[in-house]
Amino acid sequence: MPVPKILVIEPESCTGCRICELVCSWYHYKEFNPKRSRITVLRNYELGINIPLTCQQCEVPLCEASCPTGAISRDEKTRAMLIDYDKCIGCRLCMVACPFGGTSIDPITLNVIRCDLCDGDPQCAKYCPQEAIRFLPVDMTAILRKKKSTEKIVELSKLILGSGRT
Amino acid sequence: MSEFPYKGYAGQYLEVNLTTGKIVKKILPKELAKAYLGGTGFAAKILWDRVKPGIDPLGSDNVLVFATGPITGTFFPPSGRFMVAAKSPLTGIWGEAHCGGHFGPEIKYAGYDMIVFEGKAEKPVYLYIDDDYVELRDASHLWGKTTRETTKSIQEELGDDSIKVACIGPAGENKVRFACVIVDFYRAAGRTGMGAVMGSKNLKAITVRGTRSITVADPDKFFELAVDGLERETKSKLGLMAQESLGKTGTPSLVELENEIGRLPTKNHWTGTFKDADKISGETIRKKYRTSRESCFSCGIQCKFISHVPSGPYKGTLSGGPEYESIFALGSNCMVSDIEAVLHANMLCNEYGLDTISTGKVISFAMECYEHEIITKEDTDGLDLTWGNAESEIQLIHKIAKREGFGNLLAEGVKRAAEKIGKGAEKYALHVKGLECSGQDPRGQYSVGLTYAVNVRGADHLRSLSCYEELGYPDVAAERYGSDKAEEIMNLRSPKYKAMVVLDLEDLYAIVDSLIICKYGTMWPPIYYWDDFAKIIPALTGIKEYSDIEYVKKVGARISTLRKAFNVREGLNRKDDTLPERFLKEPMPEGPAKGHTCPLDIMLDEYYELRGWDKKTGLFTRESLEKLELSDVANELEKRKLLT
Repeated sequence: MPVPKILVIEPESCTGCRICELVCSWYHYKEFNPKRSRITVLRNYELGINIPLTCQQCEVPLCEASCPTGAISRDEKTRAMLIDYDKCIGCRLCMVACPFGGTSIDPITLNVIRCDLCDGDPQCAKYCPQEAIRFLPVDMTAILRKKKSTEKIVELSKLILGSGRT
Repeated sequence: MSEFPYKGYAGQYLEVNLTTGKIVKKILPKELAKAYLGGTGFAAKILWDRVKPGIDPLGSDNVLVFATGPITGTFFPPSGRFMVAAKSPLTGIWGEAHCGGHFGPEIKYAGYDMIVFEGKAEKPVYLYIDDDYVELRDASHLWGKTTRETTKSIQEELGDDSIKVACIGPAGENKVRFACVIVDFYRAAGRTGMGAVMGSKNLKAITVRGTRSITVADPDKFFELAVDGLERETKSKLGLMAQESLGKTGTPSLVELENEIGRLPTKNHWTGTFKDADKISGETIRKKYRTSRESCFSCGIQCKFISHVPSGPYKGTLSGGPEYESIFALGSNCMVSDIEAVLHANMLCNEYGLDTISTGKVISFAMECYEHEIITKEDTDGLDLTWGNAESEIQLIHKIAKREGFGNLLAEGVKRAAEKIGKGAEKYALHVKGLECSGQDPRGQYSVGLTYAVNVRGADHLRSLSCYEELGYPDVAAERYGSDKAEEIMNLRSPKYKAMVVLDLEDLYAIVDSLIICKYGTMWPPIYYWDDFAKIIPALTGIKEYSDIEYVKKVGARISTLRKAFNVREGLNRKDDTLPERFLKEPMPEGPAKGHTCPLDIMLDEYYELRGWDKKTGLFTRESLEKLELSDVANELEKRKLLT
């Protein structure tokens, strides 16, 4: 069993092109419709702040705990929290329970919808032009943040080591 | 919507009569999609059919079109656009302006390909669209507000800060003839005064949210083409080059480049080099003022930025851009080298809803008149209009938007202002057909001269600008026109083959502006060409005729021609397809293009010949119209004795 992967989102790299929303709705419905996307970029147009938001696939999933019919469960292969629509009664309690707004309502079917990690190949990560969304093995995620926080030190080291030499 | 047979389109559109308040949803005629594709093509057909010649563009007879294209709202980059068209109050002829951001796609998601406004509302209104639910709402409380305030007020009022708003500011309300339409705070449908048309109709804003889906004819093929497009935009050789300039610095990267090739308009287009170019350069903005990078909807290029001035007299200035065109117009063009003042001026234009290009050009016009003592402080409300006076520039922007004092005269645009001032002021009014010149100089790049002269909306680059020789794409020029011609095409200051190139690009951009995708991807970098559109359009729409390159070209030519026909019917002919005297007779005084004037006539003759139009009058022959299936246009022009 390989190291499980998770979606890593870095809002500071996001420019708000919303290609993630388009490819998400395309993958699930073969249509373009940001309102049917399971990922949403929250944009502050005035200040230029862009925050992509989607299901965190929490380790303690409150959605699952809140579901009165047991319609939500973790997929063994991808570890995504999936909705069994045969059991789902559309009460939307999972939306209330989610601290992140990771669950939305499909405006056409009125079903609750949530990121299913596209069966292990999340399209948002695949097509994000800024790599603001990536699908990475869990052990890589913290290292990336560490690397980012040390970028200045690396630059400085290069300056010192590089002086007078190539 | 099942009645509409083609994909990509929403399949219906809105007819809004502002006089009666009646709103009608109509099925999009499928013939329109087949013959005119979308966007500017749709607008051309509608304005030709409905706007009678001679009407007052600011009267209730004018028709205002907001149009998307079949690709709007899909994952084909860069396609998040819409366009606005009406008879222009600035030029009295064909008016159109295009805009990115996130507004256009939302119109499609609400279920409409376009919105057509007629008449005039009795009091200020805004159009509210929530899918099927469409109504005109009172906008009295918004009247007088800036575009930023208007957008925020509407979003607060509706309790939805993601609802998309297109609006005008005080400039549009005051019918400043070059007022623009603003969306998403900072994106502008800038040119030809579309904001003034909204103002004249008492239409303050359009606000829209939608939940509908867009489907395509050949899903797998279309998605494959879109992914390929994204790759070409970001990872191909051309794409990587563009990422280094457009992606890294945005359009302001042109400041340095145009200065180098000697066509950075400076001192009201007097010269093509600016000694302080580095002070207003893209690098300066990138390093000192930029706060974030932004993207329009569904784009891989992502060339938009937000800038902020943290201290000094313009502290707190926050706005999108400035784009190259705004920097040149408000900076080098007025000899203003204080970049913070330029950033502030840019913000004011956005908030008032003024076209930055025309605003900069009316100010530089006034400055040159002031230099030559055609006007004095007595005329300028006491303002010192010496070149480079940034504070006066800023004061003038306030005055223009509010139509106060001297600003009221400048709010008419350079052509009317010069006529009013007289005393030889016309010499300093840099315009074609009434539209102020954008940030190029035909003496530094000859093809620009032809582009300005034949452009249906006047002196502006976006209808047919050639970037091959400007930005250096010799391989693309060779591939498209033959290696034997590439060398001459790449020569900035040779008239040879320029008519062929400008004509080709004019028709190509007519398709680009109808589909609608961005010029960044088609012009800079020049990625998509005829063969691409012959694949994309049929995969998207299912209209199989478009899979023939010749058919796509014919539609492009038809759209170019119909827009020109609109102008011909308004009485324009060859004498209007010209350039300001400065470009024809005053040699460039310095820099790489020193000593050059633009040899327009050679290129113009060749252009008419290639079009099959009459060289002497610039009018159509019946044959040239009939081969584009525009016999009805030929008949009407013949009736008016406007056919040769």
